[in-house]
Amino acid sequence: MIKYFYNKRLRPLMVASLLWPAMSWAQQGQALEEKSLIAPVGRAYAITNATIVQGPGRKIEKGTVVMKDGLITAVGIGVSVPPEAIIIKADSMFVYAGFIDGLSRTGVTKPKEEKEKEKVKDPGNPPAERAGITPQNDVRNWLNPNDKSVEELRNLGFTVSQVVPYGNFLPGSAAIVLLGGKSPDDMVLVNNSALYSELSGAQNVYPNTVMAVMAKFRELYRNASLTKSYQSVYAANRNSLPRPENDRILESFYPVIDQRIPVLFKSEKVMETQRVFTLKNDLGFSLLIGDVKEGWPIIPKIKSSGAKVFLSLDLPEEVKKDEKKTDKPGKDVKKDSTKNEEPKKEKIKTPLDLEKEALEKKKKDAIASYTSQPSEFTKAGVTYGFSAMSAKTKDIQANLRRMIKAGLTEDAALAGLTTNPAQLLGLSDRMGTVDNGKMANLVVSYKPYFDEKSKVRYVFVDGALYKMETKEAKKDDKVSAKGNWSYSTETPQGTATGKLVIKEEKGSYSGTITNSFTGKEVEIKNVELDGKKLSFTFQYDNSGATLNVEVSVDIDGNNFEGTMTAGPNGSFPVKATKDPKF
Amino acid sequence: MKKIQLLTGLCTVLLCALVFHIDAQNPKGKYGSFALTNATIETITKGTITNGTVLISGGKITAVGTGITIPQGTEVIDCKGLTVYPGMIDSGTNLGLSEVGSDPRTTDFSELGEVVPQMKALTAVNPNAVAIPITRVSGVTTALSSPSGGLFPGTAALINLHGYTPEQMSVGFEGVVLNFPNSARRGFFDRRTDEELKKATEAALKNLNEVWERAVQYYKVDSATHGKNAGYYPEMQALLPVVKGEGTLLIEANAAKDITAALKWVKEKKIAKVVLTGVAEGWRVADQIAKSKIPVITGSILELPTREYDRYDQAYANAGMLKKAEIKVAIRSEEKGNQNFRNLPYHAGFAVAYGMDKAEALKAITIVPAEIFGVSDKLGSIETGKSATLFVCDGDPFETKTQIKQVFIDGWQIPMQSRQTLLYDEFLKREPGVSKK
Amino acid sequence: MRKIFSIFICLVCSVWVLGQDKGSVLIKNGTVLTVTKGNFTETDVLVKDGKIAQIGKNIAAPQGVKTIDATGLFVMPGIIDAHSHIALDAINEATSPVTAEVNEGDVVNPLQIGIYRALGGGVTTVHAMHGSANAIGGQCETLKLRYGTLDNDALKMEGAPRTIKFALGENPTRVHGGGNNIVPRTRMGIEFVIRQAFSQARKYSEDWDTYNKNKSVKGFRGASPVYNLRLETLAEILKGNIIIHCHSYRADEIFMLLKVCKDFGVKRIVFQHVNEGFKVAPELAAYGAMASVFSDWWAYKFEVYYSTSYNAAILTKNGVTTSINSDDGEMMRHLYHEAGKTQKYGQLSDDEALSLITINPAKQLGIDSRTGSLETGKDADIAIFKNHPLSVYGVPQFTIVDGIVRFDRANDPADMRLMPDPKQNMDDVYLSDKGRDHCMDGTEFLFGDLSATEKK
Repeated sequence: MIKYFYNKRLRPLMVASLLWPAMSWAQQGQALEEKSLIAPVGRAYAITNATIVQGPGRKIEKGTVVMKDGLITAVGIGVSVPPEAIIIKADSMFVYAGFIDGLSRTGVTKPKEEKEKEKVKDPGNPPAERAGITPQNDVRNWLNPNDKSVEELRNLGFTVSQVVPYGNFLPGSAAIVLLGGKSPDDMVLVNNSALYSELSGAQNVYPNTVMAVMAKFRELYRNASLTKSYQSVYAANRNSLPRPENDRILESFYPVIDQRIPVLFKSEKVMETQRVFTLKNDLGFSLLIGDVKEGWPIIPKIKSSGAKVFLSLDLPEEVKKDEKKTDKPGKDVKKDSTKNEEPKKEKIKTPLDLEKEALEKKKKDAIASYTSQPSEFTKAGVTYGFSAMSAKTKDIQANLRRMIKAGLTEDAALAGLTTNPAQLLGLSDRMGTVDNGKMANLVVSYKPYFDEKSKVRYVFVDGALYKMETKEAKKDDKVSAKGNWSYSTETPQGTATGKLVIKEEKGSYSGTITNSFTGKEVEIKNVELDGKKLSFTFQYDNSGATLNVEVSVDIDGNNFEGTMTAGPNGSFPVKATKDPKF
Repeated sequence: MKKIQLLTGLCTVLLCALVFHIDAQNPKGKYGSFALTNATIETITKGTITNGTVLISGGKITAVGTGITIPQGTEVIDCKGLTVYPGMIDSGTNLGLSEVGSDPRTTDFSELGEVVPQMKALTAVNPNAVAIPITRVSGVTTALSSPSGGLFPGTAALINLHGYTPEQMSVGFEGVVLNFPNSARRGFFDRRTDEELKKATEAALKNLNEVWERAVQYYKVDSATHGKNAGYYPEMQALLPVVKGEGTLLIEANAAKDITAALKWVKEKKIAKVVLTGVAEGWRVADQIAKSKIPVITGSILELPTREYDRYDQAYANAGMLKKAEIKVAIRSEEKGNQNFRNLPYHAGFAVAYGMDKAEALKAITIVPAEIFGVSDKLGSIETGKSATLFVCDGDPFETKTQIKQVFIDGWQIPMQSRQTLLYDEFLKREPGVSKK
Repeated sequence: MRKIFSIFICLVCSVWVLGQDKGSVLIKNGTVLTVTKGNFTETDVLVKDGKIAQIGKNIAAPQGVKTIDATGLFVMPGIIDAHSHIALDAINEATSPVTAEVNEGDVVNPLQIGIYRALGGGVTTVHAMHGSANAIGGQCETLKLRYGTLDNDALKMEGAPRTIKFALGENPTRVHGGGNNIVPRTRMGIEFVIRQAFSQARKYSEDWDTYNKNKSVKGFRGASPVYNLRLETLAEILKGNIIIHCHSYRADEIFMLLKVCKDFGVKRIVFQHVNEGFKVAPELAAYGAMASVFSDWWAYKFEVYYSTSYNAAILTKNGVTTSINSDDGEMMRHLYHEAGKTQKYGQLSDDEALSLITINPAKQLGIDSRTGSLETGKDADIAIFKNHPLSVYGVPQFTIVDGIVRFDRANDPADMRLMPDPKQNMDDVYLSDKGRDHCMDGTEFLFGDLSATEKK
């Protein structure tokens, strides 16, 4: 019924759908395969004549994968293709199992910050919400399959994420979700897959520091153990016993105490990771650590902790080549610099030059350490997956290539994206490889996935096909953010106006913004233009306190409109017009 | 009868003692003629004299040397085993402008406004500040008291640490303070982003240039109208001597980048009398400073390195490295938060421990600052005709355990007391003890 | 140097470095200042596996043991700073007047460059403390400066007694009464807050004792008391298992806490800063309370206005076990010089002055059986100086922790960062924040813009 409704309504739009970004509308009929964006579950597909990388080290040339009802039903050379299957000719393409992300907030809506947070009377004893203690919260409440982040990550080949709610300390439970589907429930593979926690404190109220967060964690955990055991005493015989109190917060710990689910900690930093281990050792829960960026110096400690590990896909930026070569004219320094020290005009290096060189080298080495983290983990025999939590989606593929260049084998990289996370999350029976009986989660790329400039062509999530746009964005449709804009915004303090200057260089944007309140000009950051959506951030200096302001607007020709979000101060409408002189 | 006399005498003594105790907060100095005999004399400028005499009379040093006849009526102070040094000069203080650091009602060193060079430290120096006796009994006799805050926070004054009015304390030197636009973080709590920092520095430099342009304009109008029709611009009037090349500009700059920028700025504006202060990263750009011939007042010496990757003792070594580069270097304590200007000799001592020549370090807290401030005719060495501003101690004045025995300021013999010594006297053996009997 | 260097090589190879390594070394021919057992010239100190094995003349180096030639140098026990905030990622949980449950041991950060800088000042052990925002602050951690490890547990001095920070006077009243409008706003309020906390802890302890007794009876089916980590910790103080280290300045408040401790049977207490300790020295001595003071800091706020730099001398001469501390990353690099000031202000003997930074702080931290003097069997925490350490010209040459050379002046490689931040701008310059209140770190949000005059 619903399907019929959709199809009927959409039919007139079919032709126009070419222009739509790769998303979400149901299609009909084999003839439209090339244009189809998502197929309804239940369709059969066959990917033919492709190189199938079934798993790390398992490759079939010119093979076929058959999928039906969301499952892989046949893989191999010369397997028979059922007549109802839509055939995807994937000559010279590569097929992999869909990637699994161990920790992120993909598809999770950020709750709106309250405009003006009420001052807590006793900051030492704030309401649980303010303290960040809401482990009973269910991430499903914020799931949205249409969130842009779902599509973005899926476009890279990810089909499954373990996602967590926004917040600090104990924001709620995690869920393992498919990066597709129509409704939040549609997405969920495993609900309450872990209790999620971060070692970060609440603003201005208890627990404010990491130490208080850790103390509170211990207290909650131990109290939960006590109330749980009393509840079982009570359940056995209620006669003459006081009724145990209900406490949703403590109850959230019960499955952890029973070892039914692990605690999942974000632990980017080397110290953070070790602090999580301290808690684990004190309390004995099973542990998942995600978004690990600085695990490389403590691999043995991580290994012996028994924690399950998801390494971050984020990397520190590389030192740009042209920054390194300082003031030397390029031509005569071409040769191997270690051998030839002859150039006549060689400046005598001052101690400060030497210092600078040493510092640059140290920085380069540091970056290299971060980049070689996965290969070091592989060498140490630690099974790990990857997590996309803090990585910029557009950098992930390049970062994987950097990791490979730093010693990670392609097989190990693939394992980190597929078989390992499947194993760590207890999903190996369902996913991680291209095998009969597994869920139809697949990635199809033009070239081997880790090759330079390799692009994803198709992604299957639970048997549903997503086709990636491969051509450059249409020129005539191009929206330009570049230019000088005059904006105004309505804030609780009144109208603020100012100039916004956006520059473009090789596809990346930068610029400055002024405002009539402070009169100061500041740099804008994280400038991104996605279709018509322009977003950026800047720091607003409010008499000593800096506020991070996020701006998101839609550009329409020489105008834009949208919102400006100033941290705890809330969001305000913003409008602008472009200065035509530019 | 005799008994009564004795009793009266005793009473008098007791009364004197009592009166003395009541006065104790600021006990009186003694003016007259003194002879410091049998002393080792570190003249600073004319070598060391052993077994010599320093004559003090009418506020001045009237003779220095051996075999000096002591005029009648001169109080002789036997300095056997002791050494006479010129009073130490701390060029990094806010003495008299601050009583209790955290209580703004008791501090007077920071006026509102970015450009307020007309605010004069000398106006607000409290001659009875508790820190003054505490400082001088340690041999620090002279201090540059500086305002702090904005771009041009005011005019600093050199004062002697004895007197009851600012005029009595003033040594004569005053200098306009300029906090050169600063690209460094003010401490680890300063969490501005790199860009914010850069913008702030640029804005401050722009402001500075505008102020300077106006000052130069004011100077032109002032000279054209012979000072009659320039109008009432107090901040410009305060800058006028500097523009004219008569007054000294004390430029605080610490990060290497800022020192370089300050030197460039001074050159561009052709400012005649300049002193660089702070100069924490001076060692990074020592050759540039040396080339400029601009003198330096550096300190605090007891500091952490300015950069995470710097050698651990870089701050201790800075003064010595500047001296090695043939820069004229004075050392200051800059211990404003704790009012511990008495630690000035230890700052010099640490500079020595970490590489500075000892004689140079001694000069850096005596004659060099005197020269920088143009008062070397009065202060900075033990020479006939100079002000009798000196101290006597039982050893190397940099050495921690050395005791200061006598202090003279402008010929006044200073009582060796401060609130801190009085508390010692009272509480070393408290009475009553634990029980109230 | 060899050792330090090899540590860095190891780090580069991302080999896990154990901080708790022990070393062996022979220090030849130095002037040995034992602090507790006299001074010996031209004497050797043999260190084996992190312990002092022998002090004497003409000791031969055992095979494979490196030698440090200390001819003309002074060998003293490693300096102990009884009040420090280095190597910590959080100082104040300033949200509540009582936060006994929080523990600095959880936030030790062995990466901080300040640790190495302290080694450069001959310091081997620090008491890494919670700040002074709360009447009862958090638990502190005694750390050995085993710089070179990334293991956050490796710096903790194994077996050191538990300690906790208390604070009286302006800081807690300003933060809670002034900043948040909750008790305490006065010194009266502080006494109340502490007495209330102790009383609750006593009750809590009794409840658990009752529960535990009942539990052992067969067939018992009751509920436990609600677990409360704060009261749990406070109860340990009352049981004598945690030493109180109390930030305090004025005589009256010091006396107040002595009375409170007496009423609750708490014996082990060390007063920190205690600028007016000299006024109640007889009372401190009678109670057996100890004092850890600044050499000469004063004037930064009203409660230190009536200070005297003779404080340490008066306390010492009145029989109070006294130490000199830094509370500051810079001052801790020359605690030997700060101790030397007691020879100017009060003319303490060399041994008395050196005790202030060695055996006395060791006593205050309850680690004097292992550190604080050069004695056979003690931990080999040693500082070697050129010139006498109480001289302004004293310069630390080697600093040894558990027999391992962690600082070697002649071979200092300048850049000693363990894990350079790949994002850091290398032109970052930090100017002095001298006189800044590290004791109040993490409380800025209560006061908005912290002005330059806000002090300790």
